[in-house]
This record gives sequence, structure tokens and C-alpha cells, in this order.
Amino acid sequence: MSKVSCGWFEDVRSFRLSSIVTLLVVSTGFAIQYLAGGVGVPVLSWPFNGVFLAVFAALLVLLGVAFRNKPFVVWLGGIPLGLSLIFGIAFLSLLGGVIPQGGMTGASLPARLGLNRIFSGWPFLLTVLLFLSNLGLSVVWKTIPFRPSNLQFMLFHGGFWIALAAGLAGAPDLQRLIIPVYEGRQNSRAYIPEENRMVQLPFSVYLDDFSIEEYSPQLVLYDPGSDRVIPGKSGSVAEVGKGYRAVWPGFEVKVLEYLGHALPDSSGNPRPADPENGIPYARVRISAAGKSVDRWLNTGSPSVRPGVVQLGRYFLVMFPGTPKVFRSGVVLSGSRGRKPAILEVNKPVEFDGWKLYQMGYDEKAGRWSQLSLIEAVRDPWLPAVYCGFFMIMAGNAMFFWKGMKRGGSV
Amino acid sequence: MTLADFPLIATLAMVCWAAGSILRFASRRFPALRIPSYLVMVAGTVLLGWFIAAYWVALERPPLRTLGETRLWYAALIPVVGFLVEYRWKVGWLKYYCMSLAAFFLVINLSTPDVFDKALMPALQSVWFIPHVVVYLIGYVLLAASSAAAWHNIFTGLRSQTDHQDFSLSHYLALLGFVLLTFGLVFGALWAKEAWGHYWTWDPKETWAFISWLAYLGYLHLSANKTGSGRLQWYLALSFLVLLVCWFGVNYLPSAQNSVHSYQPN
Ligand code: HEM
Repeated sequence: MSKVSCGWFEDVRSFRLSSIVTLLVVSTGFAIQYLAGGVGVPVLSWPFNGVFLAVFAALLVLLGVAFRNKPFVVWLGGIPLGLSLIFGIAFLSLLGGVIPQGGMTGASLPARLGLNRIFSGWPFLLTVLLFLSNLGLSVVWKTIPFRPSNLQFMLFHGGFWIALAAGLAGAPDLQRLIIPVYEGRQNSRAYIPEENRMVQLPFSVYLDDFSIEEYSPQLVLYDPGSDRVIPGKSGSVAEVGKGYRAVWPGFEVKVLEYLGHALPDSSGNPRPADPENGIPYARVRISAAGKSVDRWLNTGSPSVRPGVVQLGRYFLVMFPGTPKVFRSGVVLSGSRGRKPAILEVNKPVEFDGWKLYQMGYDEKAGRWSQLSLIEAVRDPWLPAVYCGFFMIMAGNAMFFWKGMKRGGSV
Repeated sequence: MTLADFPLIATLAMVCWAAGSILRFASRRFPALRIPSYLVMVAGTVLLGWFIAAYWVALERPPLRTLGETRLWYAALIPVVGFLVEYRWKVGWLKYYCMSLAAFFLVINLSTPDVFDKALMPALQSVWFIPHVVVYLIGYVLLAASSAAAWHNIFTGLRSQTDHQDFSLSHYLALLGFVLLTFGLVFGALWAKEAWGHYWTWDPKETWAFISWLAYLGYLHLSANKTGSGRLQWYLALSFLVLLVCWFGVNYLPSAQNSVHSYQPN
């Protein structure tokens, strides 16, 4: 069905060669991985990764400019090889997207082939290296000599080259540490999960206050025999509040009164309290076979016993809602002074070249957690990667524009 | 507006699409029905759009969290692509595929009702949430339309009735869809940096988004390299399967055990 143009036979040969080379590169990668006995690729950290990348880029420019017409170079920067490598990378990503990554150690065949570490293994690395050569050459050709009509190509392909190259080369310089800190205490030591060891930080974190806001609680039936919860049929609303009804086979529960934040008084009756300490209370009417009783339920806290109702072999329980916001009020101190800050998910804070993230807390204690887990990240290559991202987006916007305009003549 | 109203709205929308399509066919005999037929079809989509807006208000968060909620958006947006394609490129048949696909999504939602749940986990509470998800939604919608156009071309091609214009249609839909996938991928990376501390961690969802992106990247280069358009229709028709895995198949893969990105199953 393909149109037979003059370059067609050339193309088929080029495609055949490209597919064979791609297959060879991928299988060589697996062979090296196997022979190295599951040992990963040696990592180059600063300054060696920087030097490597600079030499690699310089070689590509030299190859592209000085040997532009040599058949080998034309092939190396051509679409047929690019396509084969795109499919090669897609294949390796497919392995990495189906087989669970991480886990699995020891001498099993999949582990020796690095199937559980696809994206840091030899096959992926070698394929991407050849891919970067291909992409790099095409960018050099579209950039030298410069023509404004090639701008979209340069931005998109060049941006992708920069983001991919800087992301991979910079990976060894990326530091991600976990700082556990308790309320009212200070910590300047952090944990590296991959290496399972503690390190000293150049700054310290004091945790002033850790707090959680929750969504409204849920009413469920708990079966201690099988340790299962059975949610009731509640129409289309999952939120407990005044007027909420839920139905289980044989009986029905209706919320008559709801207090979002309350504490028991001396006789055990709930009284409204402040949001920091108060817990949700609900007065429910349980009806079964024409009879009904009214009871108070509450979610419980370290100082208040959870209010539950026994119904035969089940318990009617009010579970605390899922967390809506969790935040740490901290004071950061380093060589350049002190800085109070609020850390929340999605709201990281910069300090002394590190970025600090609200990561987690003691999930067993939930709202009453005294512990906050803070992640500290340092990524010196981030500006280069982001430069690539913004070039991609600029080229992408131009591509959209071109597509709309050319699409007009369909 | 809550989910209790959904069955009525969904049924009305489907009735509008079906009635509008019938009127449109009838308008070949009775040209006066032409304009009303479009009004009725568009009314179905407007109805769904209105439901989404009202549901958003009632939820106090964008209805983009569960698979069921995203299906609502697809059901509203896919016909829009069909209508726009007809308006811009005068290609009429695509809208029928689009309305059928949208009806299919509505039927899934009717048979597996969602629960009204306002909870939005902290990681999703970000300015990136809406741009990232909406850009992806529109990208998926365009690529679904491109795949529908490609299937159409394959079937009419077998009866050798495809004209050049139909090939271009699937091509430009794929191109625009690819542009949106790219924006979605980069927005996702920028968001991941703010929420999880790193822009790319090869999480299964990210990996599959990357694979789908590569599939369409492969398409664009095959097409730049003048591969025959008949083969490219098959390629486009089937690439959408990769997107489907990325969209909801990921949750069922062995690798998904420790994914942070999977949609919460309501
Ligand atoms: C991401 C990896 C990519 C690689 C490795 C790659 C590689 C290549 C190569 C080697 C060429 C041939 C250049 C030449 O012969 O002058 C090419 C051409 C082309 N690429 Fe890409 N590319 C990539 C991404 C993209 C993307 C994302 C787009 C879409 C915006 C794109 C659009 C094109 C187009 C339209 C051509 C044809 C240019 C022309 O012939 O004028 N490429 N690509």
C-alpha cells in the first residue's frame, strides 16, 4: 500500500538495519546485566556526569556538522533509527510498566536480568544513549544553519533532549531524605531509605505543631469475627451529618443530631469543644423490626473511648474521616539563620538549597500523631530539566497552532 | 444536584442524541428539520455539561477524582469534538461515533453508580489538579475520536470509498491529541515535583502515560516518513488500546501495587 517513491528501497534497508541495531542494543544490555550478576550500572556523580554529558554533546555537534553527509551519520540521525528506538524504549517501558518495580532480590533469573529495575538497568541505558545520539543529531541539523521555520522542531526536540539527558545524568546527584521529627523537638539527622542509613543534615528542623483536619466521619458496621467493615446503603451520600440515613439488611440507622467537634462532660454527655481537641459525635436512631433506640456514637480519641453500639455479633462504629489537610508548623535553622514555615502537602518550602515537603505522620495515631515525617530534596540538575520542559511546552504550543492552521485545509 | 438526579439526566441526554440523529436522517427528505436536529443533539450535551457544573458545586470539589466522575466528562466532551469537527471541517459522520461512545460511558455509569463523596486527598488539592486532568481528558477525547475516524476509514477503505479528507481527519485529531498528551505529561511532572518531591519516579501510571505518548510519537514519525495511509489507519485505530490501559487498565496490573497515582475506585 505504501507509495513507491525513489527513496523507498533506501528506506526499507534503513529500517531493517535500524531494527536489527535496536534489537542488538537491547539484547546486549540484557547480556551485560546478566553477566554483571544483577549489579546495576555504575553511577557517575558530579562532576563526572557533567563532563560526560558535555563531551557527549560536543561529539554529537562535531559529528553532525563535520560528517553531515557520511552515510553512517545520516543513518544515525535519521527517522528510521529514531522510530526503531522509540519502539525499543516503548518495549522496555512496557516491561517496567507491567512487572512490579523494586522488590524482588536474590539470584532469580528475572532479578539477574534486572527486570525489577528496568529504568536503571543496562538495556534501558544503552537504548536511551543511542536514542539521544539520534535525537541530538537531528537537532544539530535543524539548528545549524538556523532557520526560523525550524524553531518549533528545535524547541520540541531540543527540549526533550535536554530534559531526558539532564534527568538521567543528574539522577545520581538527586538527594531525597526523610526527617522524622516529634512535636516540641528538634532534629538535624535524616534517613536515606534506599541505603537504610542516617546522615547529618546541614540544617535542623524544630516541630512546633502538627495538625490534621479530617473530612466527616463514616458510619459502618464492624464484624469482629472476620475483621471486616460493612458499609451501609446510604443512597448516594457518603457523608455523615444531621439527617443522614444508612440501611443494612434488617435495620436502619438515622442521624438525629451531629456535632463535628465535641467532648464529653462529667456525666458523659457531649458538649461542643474547640476543633483542636473535639471529636465528632452523632446521636443516631437505630430501628429494626418496628422497634427503635437512640444512642450517641463518637469516633474516639486517646482520652475518649470510642462510642460504639453492639448489634448482635456486629458493632455500629463511626470511623474518623479521611485526612483533608495535614500540616507541620516548623522552625528551620541553618548557617543562614532561622525561618519559621508551614509545611503542607503540595506546599513545599525552600531552605538553604533544599526543598522541604510534608510527607507523612504516624498513621496509627492519625489525628493525634505527635510525629511528622518531612522529606528534604536536593536536585541540582532541576533547572536544566525544567529548561527542557519549558522548551517542550513552547514547541508544543507552536505545534498546536500549526496543526490547527494546516488542519483548516483538510 | 446530586447523583440521585443522574439517571434522569443521563437518559434525557441519550434520548436527545438519538432523537437528534433520527431527525438529522429525516432531514434528508425534509430539509426544514436540519436545524432542529442539531439543536436537539447539542441539547443532550448541554444537559450533561449543566449536570457536571451543578454536581461540582454540590461536591465542593471538581468532579475529577473517581473513574466514574471522569467518565462523565468524557460523555460530555466527546460529542463536542464530533460537533466541532463537523462545524470546522464539514465531516458529518464522526459525530455519530462520538455520541455512541458517550452513550456507552453513560451506560457504564448508570450500571455502576458512584457514591457522593466530597473527600479529596491532600495530594490532589493543588492548582495543578484541574489543568493536568482536563488537558489529559481532552487529549484522550481527541485520540478516541481519532481512533473512531481510523476505524471508519478502515471499514470504508475495505469497500474503497475513503477519500483523502477522511485520512486527514484522523491524522489531525491524532496530532492535536498528541499535543494535549504532551502538555498533560509535562504538567503532571511539574505537579509531581510539588506534591511528591520528584518530577518523575516511573510510577506505573507515569510509565503507561509515557508508553502511550511514545505510541503517538511513533505515529507522527511514521507519518512524517510517508508510511502508507492505509497502514497508519490501523496504527491509529489500535494505539487507542494502549491509552485505554493507561487510563484504567493500570489499576489491574501487577505493577500497580505501589502506585500513588491510581484513581480511587469510588
Ligand atoms: C522524543 C523523541 C524524538 C526523537 C528521537 C525524534 C527524532 C526525530 C528525527 C531523527 C527526525 C528526523 C530529522 C531529520 O531528518 O531532519 C525527526 C523528524 C521529525 N520529528 Fe521528531 N523526534 C522526537 C520527538 C518528536 C516529537 C515529540 C514531535 C512532535 C512535535 C516530532 C516531530 C517531528 C517531525 C514533524 C519530523 C519531520 C521533520 C521534517 O521532516 O521536517 N518529533 N524526529
